[in-house]
Amino acid sequence: MTSPTPRTPAIPTLAPAASAPADEASVLADLTAMLARLLEDEYGLDDVEIGMGTTFNRDLELESIDLVTLAGLLQERYGDRVNFAEFLADMEFDEIIELTVGRLVEYVVTSLKATEAS
Amino acid sequence: MAMVDTGAVRLHVQRIGPRVGRPATATVVLVHGLLTDSLASYYFTVAPAFAAAGLDVVMYDLRGHGRSERPAEGYTLDDNIDDLEALLDRLAVTGPVHLVGNSYGGTIAFGFAARRPERAASVSLIESEPATAAWAVKLGGILDRVVTQLAHNEPDAIRWISAHRGHNTARLAKGAARLARDTTLGRDIPASRVLTDSQIALVRCPVLGVYGGDSDLAELAPRLESALPDCRTVVIPGHEHSVLVEASGTVGGHILQLVEEAGRPAVRVAAEAAG
Repeated sequence: MTSPTPRTPAIPTLAPAASAPADEASVLADLTAMLARLLEDEYGLDDVEIGMGTTFNRDLELESIDLVTLAGLLQERYGDRVNFAEFLADMEFDEIIELTVGRLVEYVVTSLKATEAS
Repeated sequence: MAMVDTGAVRLHVQRIGPRVGRPATATVVLVHGLLTDSLASYYFTVAPAFAAAGLDVVMYDLRGHGRSERPAEGYTLDDNIDDLEALLDRLAVTGPVHLVGNSYGGTIAFGFAARRPERAASVSLIESEPATAAWAVKLGGILDRVVTQLAHNEPDAIRWISAHRGHNTARLAKGAARLARDTTLGRDIPASRVLTDSQIALVRCPVLGVYGGDSDLAELAPRLESALPDCRTVVIPGHEHSVLVEASGTVGGHILQLVEEAGRPAVRVAAEAAG
């Protein structure tokens, strides 16, 4: 992946993994909408392509303070069921730099399933 | 995202606490460092553990940094201490707080404790030191390099950093150059009012100093201990200036221990006020 790619029309792109469970697709759609909002609010970008392999750092050029904003958006959407700060606090710095949208989608899906099960 | 207007500047604040139903035992205020730093350095490292340990955790972006407003002027150490004091007033945090500061944030935290000792329950300095005349000279040198080499010769400097230090560092450097170019920070900080040895010794609350073993600042540890009445220091081997982010579990553990030992005075004061 390279830097954010301008593209029209701005329709969220889903991961190519057709076998992914439906809830993974809906979480990806949620995250795509949150990231689109963040990129527009902070950087005036309204046409960035986002998929499971997109990295927060190199592809989206997000700074760590943007991830704090994203944590707030996740909190708004999922409440206490998903704790993004704790998820990142368990990671090494290099892992955070390489973090992909897909890895966050997996974490959100796992967290939501865990609270459904309990 | 919470923005708090201190009356002088609008600051981005994040506040997290213990799980619902559990009252906080004390308030801890986390102050980040200069230029490339923001509250994110705490938000994704020690803050979740502090909240889980029962603390009310207040983080904010310094003026000009992160999501806070960036006025063109007002970047002396006293301006930063004014902002911290006004922020705590606005948040109605009136009892003593445990202050934690990383790098320049520690210099702010210590300056707050020196100015308002009754509001400081403890101070944790991570890779940091009180503002002395020598500190001002050192910061002046660092900021001069940022302003002259980065801000005034940016394309070359960024190309060099990108090639030798990687893409992420280059991006951080761009942000630092913008801040130095857009504000008076570069000349305000070295011109800050500093503390004398006797003013430093008047900070009587427990002070913790945490340093990376491979950092230039590690040599400050014994000096800090001898300058203060109640101070202990920890040097963490194998780390440099980014010890907070790189060894956050260890650093956070030392801070929590200090906070617990300092006896949670915020709760005591609240109980006394209620009684």
